[in-house]
Amino acid sequence: MIKKYLFLVLIVLISFHLSAQEWVVPAEEGVKLSPFAFNDSTRKVGADLYNTNCKSCHGDPGKNNVINLVPPPPDVASVKMQTNSDGALHFKLVQGRAPMPSFKNILSSTDIWRVISFVRSFNDKYVQVIDTKKGMAGTAASNVKIQVAWVKEQNQVQMVISGMKENKIQPVSGAEVKLFAKRYFGNLLIDEARNTDAQGKALFNFPKDLPGDSAGFVQLIAKLSDEAAYGEAKADTTLAIGVPTYRPPLNEQRAMWNVVQKTPIWLLLAYTFTVLVVWGFIFYVLLQIRAIYKAGLRKDHETTD
Amino acid sequence: MASEVNTGFLLDKRLDSIATDILRPVGISKGFLVWMGFLLVSLSGCIYAYYIQWDKGLIVTGLRDYVSWGMYIANFIFFVATSLVGMLISSVLGLMGFKWVKPIARIAEIIAVAFAAVAGLVIVSDMGRPERLPYVFMYGRIQSPILWDVTVVTTYLVLSTLLYFIPLIPDLAISKGRMGHTPKWLQSTYEVLSVNWSHTPQQYKILLKSVRILLIVIIPTAFAIHTVTSWLLAVTLRPGWDSSIFGPYFLTGAFVAGSAAVVIMMYFVRTNYKLDKYLTLYHFDMMGKLLVLVSLVYLYFNINEFLVPAFKLKTADAIHLKELFVGEYASMFWSVQLLGLIFPIILLLFKFFRKPLPMFIISVVVLIAAWFKRYLIVVPTQQNPFLPKQYVPDAWMVYQPTVIETAITMGTILLAVIIITVLFKLFPVIPIWEMAEEQCENDHKSQE
Ligand code: HEC
Repeated sequence: MIKKYLFLVLIVLISFHLSAQEWVVPAEEGVKLSPFAFNDSTRKVGADLYNTNCKSCHGDPGKNNVINLVPPPPDVASVKMQTNSDGALHFKLVQGRAPMPSFKNILSSTDIWRVISFVRSFNDKYVQVIDTKKGMAGTAASNVKIQVAWVKEQNQVQMVISGMKENKIQPVSGAEVKLFAKRYFGNLLIDEARNTDAQGKALFNFPKDLPGDSAGFVQLIAKLSDEAAYGEAKADTTLAIGVPTYRPPLNEQRAMWNVVQKTPIWLLLAYTFTVLVVWGFIFYVLLQIRAIYKAGLRKDHETTD
Repeated sequence: MASEVNTGFLLDKRLDSIATDILRPVGISKGFLVWMGFLLVSLSGCIYAYYIQWDKGLIVTGLRDYVSWGMYIANFIFFVATSLVGMLISSVLGLMGFKWVKPIARIAEIIAVAFAAVAGLVIVSDMGRPERLPYVFMYGRIQSPILWDVTVVTTYLVLSTLLYFIPLIPDLAISKGRMGHTPKWLQSTYEVLSVNWSHTPQQYKILLKSVRILLIVIIPTAFAIHTVTSWLLAVTLRPGWDSSIFGPYFLTGAFVAGSAAVVIMMYFVRTNYKLDKYLTLYHFDMMGKLLVLVSLVYLYFNINEFLVPAFKLKTADAIHLKELFVGEYASMFWSVQLLGLIFPIILLLFKFFRKPLPMFIISVVVLIAAWFKRYLIVVPTQQNPFLPKQYVPDAWMVYQPTVIETAITMGTILLAVIIITVLFKLFPVIPIWEMAEEQCENDHKSQE
């Protein structure tokens, strides 16, 4: 019995150990390559994206100032990071593995490749191989435009997509599209993925209770899923369709935990009043010592007169 | 205190003998110089210890992340507590018309001034960056009990000083001509400090009014000072501190410590200054009864403070109480409760133990126990935080005061003793004019 348990414990330990170490990347994902060459401009955009999305955990590349998480996020310049193939990096960013978040809904595939181009700039030995088979994005249609509008009666958001095909501007039909609302942390998928109809149109049911900013504005992000076919088509639109929400910051009002300028009024009055009264008496008594002194002077006069 | 003063005593020849008695010990004697020399040499050792702390920071103490208050804050609470007796004797008992407090009131006031003054310094000893002290006034928040504490300690110190000084003025004037045996500078100090006092009825009227105001104002201030000190701990959720009776618990404890300190000083004045005519067996008897009374009240709060959490035994409280009752601090805890509270109450019920020498011994024990009581309030709670203690060096787990820390604490006590010694030696410790006036009054009554 005991042996059996020990065996179980051992298995659990080993598998835990493995899972803690290995982050398995499927073979077909691992060989993926960037469709474009990494250059200064991709690295520059990549650096910006890194600073806003990754730096808080992974720290400054090469400085090993990562935050304290289990498992620890590796430094970008580390061997651990750089031994990943391009495809593996791409996969891990899309997928995430707690506590490393998934960037699937946050960064486009192209942006992920840009971050990778920045990551690779910390590896002198890296030589890029470009995905020539796929070529640059935009094979199905180019110059893709997404228009987002609010259909009030049905409480729906409408997307209309057009693009250049065979030298003509046409509706893009049968393409998968997604709608996101920007939240504090990441993007929230609205409704579900849809396919555009013959007019290049797709409708998304919009929830009635989605909190917007203080005026009800919600920032919407419309995306085509197949980046390889349509390029990095994306539209940011801000519409006043959320529930107006105002959440005052905790330090806005007078409170015990706030700075001295925001002391609660009752406390300010009570403290000031008490101090003034007590010190008023103290000053009065000090004046009395002066009065004693003066009275003594008069007495002196009386006796000398 | 009467609202009128019958200045008839000024012409009475008894004033002379009273003044001679009380002024005899005043001045610079050989004993005083030896004693002061001893105090100052010891103090300089403690100041050197503080220099090391100033230079290296609090790392030279046993204070770490968990126990960050330790001996210094325990000492602070002890100082504030002891200083409260000034208010108890002069104001509460004085205003209620107890005549026997008259010769004791000034002693109590000296203790109040010395301990309140040093209390502020004790806080500085707990600061890792003392040069940032002005920040309290520059950036302090009115919402913080720490700022309230700074306010009330300062106010109480000023009030106590005035309450010591103003009734002293007539004595300074009376003494002026009778100080042949003292150095010149002391005589001119008396001259300046007596602010032209010439015993006019008008001056007495002003004096009595001022003292009365002070006696009344100091009562809420003294309550505030120790209640706020208790809030520094009680506004947290920590076991042993999270208590709604912490204010009165501290206040009543303060009266025990302060009364013991007064008895010690009374014994010293009576035997060394040969003033047994003024501090009689009757005065000791009354102080003994007072000590029993305040100890009983304190015992009552102790029972509340321990029985109620021990009945509910919430997890954190259970750990805390176990530490005190049977754990690491059990021997200190039971010694303090028995020697500092239970035994004194029982002993002082007997008249024999209310005689000067037994009272003196009991009071010394009570005062030492009072210091350790504050230690027991501050340290064990901090050693048992809510969150588990982990990932820290072993040395942080338990608090062990270092030699430097102990020396600095000793230094603050020495400083208080020095202030008391100076005030005792340079000015009359027993109010001359009040004694003379009382004797005249008694004569009048017996003649009628
Ligand atoms: C919330 C903190 C956090 C953020 C934000 C974050 N990461 Fe990570 N990352 C981690 C952690 C933790 C791991 C280790 C995960 C594991 O091994 O299970 C990790 C692992 C990785 C890995 C895999 C390394 C390996 O073991 O092969 C890569 C690549 C990576 N992060 C890149 C990024 C990039 C690029 C970004 C920004 C777009 C980013 N991370 C943002 C915490 C974070």
